[in-house]
Amino acid sequence: SSHEHKLNFRKSKEACLSYIQDALLQKQWKRAAEFLTCYVESLEKDYSREHVSPSEMIWRIGTEILWHHSQSSMKEFNCFMEQMKTLGVKRYLKVCLEHVFHLLCNGQIDEAYQNLSLAESWRFGEQTAIQDKEMKLIQAYRGLLDYYSWSKKKNILLEHGEDGFSDLAVEQEMHGYFRKAAVNLKEIIKIPGVWDLFVKCYVDLLEFYGDHNEARQVLNEYAYNSKFPANPNAHVYLYQFLKRQGESKKSLISALKILHDIVPSHELMIDFNTMLQKSKKRKKRRLGLEVIFAALDYAGWKENAKAWSCLARQVKQIVISEKHLDWIKQEWNPRKDWWPAFHFSRYLAKRNWQENKSLSYEKALVAGILLGKDCKYFKYVSHQGCKAQLKRFRVLKKFVNRHNPVCLRISG
Amino acid sequence: MEFPAALFSSYFGAGPLREEGGPAPVAGWGEHGQVLEGGLGRRQAQPAFVPRRGATGERWEAADAAAVPVLLPSAGCWIPSPAPQDILYRSGLCRKLQAGKSGAILDFARQLGHFFVDHPEDAFGSLGRLLHKNFYLGNSKLKVTVSRNSTIRMTALLEDIERLEARHGCPRQHLASRLRWFSHLCRDWLFEVPLGLLADCLHEELMQQWSSLLFDDSLTGGALAWLPPEDGGTPVGCLVHPGGQAMNHLYFQDVVLEELPHARGSPAQFELSGRIRQVAAARVDGEDFIGVRSDYHCGVWRVPGKTGAAPAPLQVIRTDVPASCLTVSPHLPGELSVCTQSGTIYLWSIETGLQQLRHDPQTMFFRDHSPWRWSDFTAHPRVLSYADRTGLQCLDARAPKRCHFDLFKVGEEAGCQQGERVVLPMYLGRAHPSQYLVTTQFSVYVLDERLPLVPVLKWAHMMKAPPLFAHLMPGNPGRNHKVLLGASRTQELLLLQYQASFWGVSSGGSQSVCQLAGTPQKLHSIRGCLQHLPTQLPHRHHLLQQRLTAPAAGLAATLQEDGPHKSMLVFQLSEAGDVFCQRLTHKAAQPPAPPSRDEATTAPGSSPLFEAPASSPPGSGAAALRYHRWLRALSRTCREPPRHTWLASLSQRRLFTRRDLEGPAGPNSLQRQMRQRLRQAMRDGGRIQRWEPVALQPPPLPETLEPAGVLDPLSTRLTAAWAEDWEQWWEERTSFSVAQRQRVLRERRRRQKRAQARRSLSASFTSSLPYQSELSELSDTGPPLLSPGRPPIPSLEGSPPAGSATVCSPPTTPAPDEALLSSQSLRCRGIPKDRRKILRDYLSVWVEVPPEPPGSQASQLCIPSSQSQLSSTSQPRRKRPRMGF
Repeated sequence: SSHEHKLNFRKSKEACLSYIQDALLQKQWKRAAEFLTCYVESLEKDYSREHVSPSEMIWRIGTEILWHHSQSSMKEFNCFMEQMKTLGVKRYLKVCLEHVFHLLCNGQIDEAYQNLSLAESWRFGEQTAIQDKEMKLIQAYRGLLDYYSWSKKKNILLEHGEDGFSDLAVEQEMHGYFRKAAVNLKEIIKIPGVWDLFVKCYVDLLEFYGDHNEARQVLNEYAYNSKFPANPNAHVYLYQFLKRQGESKKSLISALKILHDIVPSHELMIDFNTMLQKSKKRKKRRLGLEVIFAALDYAGWKENAKAWSCLARQVKQIVISEKHLDWIKQEWNPRKDWWPAFHFSRYLAKRNWQENKSLSYEKALVAGILLGKDCKYFKYVSHQGCKAQLKRFRVLKKFVNRHNPVCLRISG
Repeated sequence: MEFPAALFSSYFGAGPLREEGGPAPVAGWGEHGQVLEGGLGRRQAQPAFVPRRGATGERWEAADAAAVPVLLPSAGCWIPSPAPQDILYRSGLCRKLQAGKSGAILDFARQLGHFFVDHPEDAFGSLGRLLHKNFYLGNSKLKVTVSRNSTIRMTALLEDIERLEARHGCPRQHLASRLRWFSHLCRDWLFEVPLGLLADCLHEELMQQWSSLLFDDSLTGGALAWLPPEDGGTPVGCLVHPGGQAMNHLYFQDVVLEELPHARGSPAQFELSGRIRQVAAARVDGEDFIGVRSDYHCGVWRVPGKTGAAPAPLQVIRTDVPASCLTVSPHLPGELSVCTQSGTIYLWSIETGLQQLRHDPQTMFFRDHSPWRWSDFTAHPRVLSYADRTGLQCLDARAPKRCHFDLFKVGEEAGCQQGERVVLPMYLGRAHPSQYLVTTQFSVYVLDERLPLVPVLKWAHMMKAPPLFAHLMPGNPGRNHKVLLGASRTQELLLLQYQASFWGVSSGGSQSVCQLAGTPQKLHSIRGCLQHLPTQLPHRHHLLQQRLTAPAAGLAATLQEDGPHKSMLVFQLSEAGDVFCQRLTHKAAQPPAPPSRDEATTAPGSSPLFEAPASSPPGSGAAALRYHRWLRALSRTCREPPRHTWLASLSQRRLFTRRDLEGPAGPNSLQRQMRQRLRQAMRDGGRIQRWEPVALQPPPLPETLEPAGVLDPLSTRLTAAWAEDWEQWWEERTSFSVAQRQRVLRERRRRQKRAQARRSLSASFTSSLPYQSELSELSDTGPPLLSPGRPPIPSLEGSPPAGSATVCSPPTTPAPDEALLSSQSLRCRGIPKDRRKILRDYLSVWVEVPPEPPGSQASQLCIPSSQSQLSSTSQPRRKRPRMGF
């Protein structure tokens, strides 16, 4: 009966698919390709109502095989993609986008641009929400490629400008690219998402043409709009922009303060700390101490010599001046039950000494101050340092011994 | 920590799942996802782009054709966990019902019956004792005694029950009135535990077993851990795994990493009070801390860094509700996190004890019925992640109520599908301090805690079962990180590679962005080796299949660098307690190799693993040897259950009646002799060790080749093939002289005429020689049980010499003539039904063989066929599911 026939057909289709899957997962591209040629038959009698249609499967599997097959060429790949685009209306834009990505990764920028332009002009009935998103992405990538063309022309002009001779046609072209790029890039970055690449390019365009207000507004929106994800890069871009603009220390610090609040372990925290340490205001120096302590809480900073030297320097200053010892105490209190095991164990003392002497020097200084001269880390490192007759370790030992009463007040 | 200067583009939406869901079979292929400019482009003429997926990865190739056992099977037979067919109701009627509806029907009555049979003391103890005298179970008529009035004969009732059993599944089955009457009479008082209560408990247990069959999340995380050797030390690591019949023994086994890893010395062993569900390990300050989770207990062990140091148990906690998670801190020694199914998360420190961080029986982001909870550590030693099926949160242990943020939500934020749920979260700290792996049944996500909610990587893994196990192998700077995903029921293993350099190459912005590299790769599973094993006898094959297809229970792996040679060792643990291992070797970038042998499908038994060592890589010979050892040890440990005690008191009087033992009209001399011997043996109450030939001269060939009554050439040929006389048969067939043929034909006709008279049992013992040689061959496989000192009697001609089977050849022993014991053949021989079983048991006693002396047949692969007979009788008991009683 026809029902049975359908059932059998489905079964053999599924079996074929599982063979293909097996071959793909074992990197047997030739075998997978052979099975795929059989699977193509399933297109003819497509009874399935599943949300993934056979044509999508053929597109996905075929693409994967052509990426890896030893005998495939770019020409074949393009040909296959063109066929796949006509196979399903719903997926046209998605296939176009993926095709463009592949062209871009293979350095075929011009072909990619052509494909994007073609896809952009595609219309079919009413667009679904997903298609709308895909269309926006296509436009944005075209904008991005326009930006690269603009940037190329700009470089040509700058080089020529050095020669003291300018080319009007090139300049015209450049402005044309600017307009095309700006329109498309501006559109996509309004929608909530992660658009690092597009934002950077758009801001670059705006800055070149001197539209700093617009650039600032774009970056502020990208960083502070609550509909966007909490992307640390948004704050970094804003900070870098403010720095380029030569803004005041105060606004730089406030930008970094927000970054510190959302990502205390960001690498810019070292810059932030140095900036704050230089400040004359007590409150800022206090914040600096907090920032560096917070950064060193994270496992990724454990062996960062730069961060440890920042902390060592600041702690040393405080101990010498004997002012604001309570700052250290306040920072140390919530950490004293786990920092010794996390940072200042004997095992780490040994390993740091073997791997990075200057790191162990900075850490030993901090350990000596925070935990006193009997701390395992300090004892091991200073002993090794004195044995190796390194002068600065001897100085370190003297320093900690001299200030031991102060240290005890902190740890007590 | 360096954050990537630019991330891959993506839309971000908040809210519930939007995308239509369901497992998409090929969703992981053929997509780049997004592209990003690859840093160097500015100065060059053209920008260079890198894809999110599709970058070239490292080439890893399996060194062997299948996974190889690392450890010998542990002593004591494994009890398989219940399979669907044990729990579900099966009958013709219900199959139709089931096909229509998705709901499964649990076979409640059968399980209750099992309980009554297996635990009669618990079910009917006191009343059984009280009524003991009033029930008569014998066959004969009740004698007229004083007790006659107070005793009932139960035989008829038992017969009724048996008949009922025989009609099981018949649509027109109706209860015998006698049974109904009996059950009506005693339902209220016979049972030790009130029937309703018992039924409730059983039903609850059945439901639980069924749901754990559908998806067993108690195994999440896996119960296998590998403690790598110290840097630069000897290549001896330690494998921590559960074992024993109930998986309640914890082993610390030293393993030497050579071409094939092998165990060194005997393992340190700890007996625990529950089945081990999870073994988690982390190395802090050169010491390994191992957390072990069973349902109601969690324990922690410490293994000092020195090789060969003994593991020391540190602390144990007990929970009222089953624990669902135990992870060990990679930052601070002796810190763990524990979650229970009541929705509580604890930070457990060896020094300060338990600190409850949160208690919330509800799920976090939307309602989900699963009580499963998970927790792990993050880049900050005081911040723990907390997961349920709906997502992940991070909470600060210093102020868990105030300080927390959402790390992952099943929803639009991560572009999840409908029905998608978190299966396993894992901290990827050893590769990148701020990254996290989250697997769902559809996809695998990499998250960065500095950019919460937006996955930095997402890929549809297409696995058939949800990945319950994951293992990370961090790559050196500039190399890919490797993640292994493992599923339980299907034993799938998938190798993924991704790039995410931490403290990245600071010049290139996108260098440190997270990318999936290469294509995912399927690794060998334990069950995959089945097709490479030498051909087994059918029942052996079945046992082996059952053993090898047991769900996976854990996963561990290690990278090994030996100069330019890099290799990866992947260990997989099964629920049966087997640990298998496979080696993958790293291939430097080369043009794709020509299709190797693995492109061709391998036929069973003809695997490269078992080829002659000359034609295969050096490792293969060792692998084959390893398999042989493992198979031998398995056959030794998984021998039948201990002898039944009733064997000694087997009644012979009731076995045969006078009429049965009376032979047919004209038996030949051989038959007469054999019958005599049989009678003698029965009178003496002994057993027949072997059927010694009286006529030393072998009977004429046609006799041996053709069993009585079977005349077609195909059967003859097959019989010859079984007896390995096929060549001879062919010769006979081609070179038979006409005279000989005529003689054979005459002989046949004569026998045909006699065939009618031969419907008695005794005739079957002597009627054909193949069977006779069969028996003698069976008793040849070991020294006689009763008189060990007696020199073996030379075996009959035609039986292959036992013990001469070589390593590489298929088993040479023919299959036992089980047809003789089948009820059908017994019936047609006129044996009454009630005696067939007794007879069968009796026959199995004859063919019984003492245990094989160790080392006597070191190279023998095949299992003596005697075992097949024995285990065929013990088989039905073994298959019964073990319920929670």
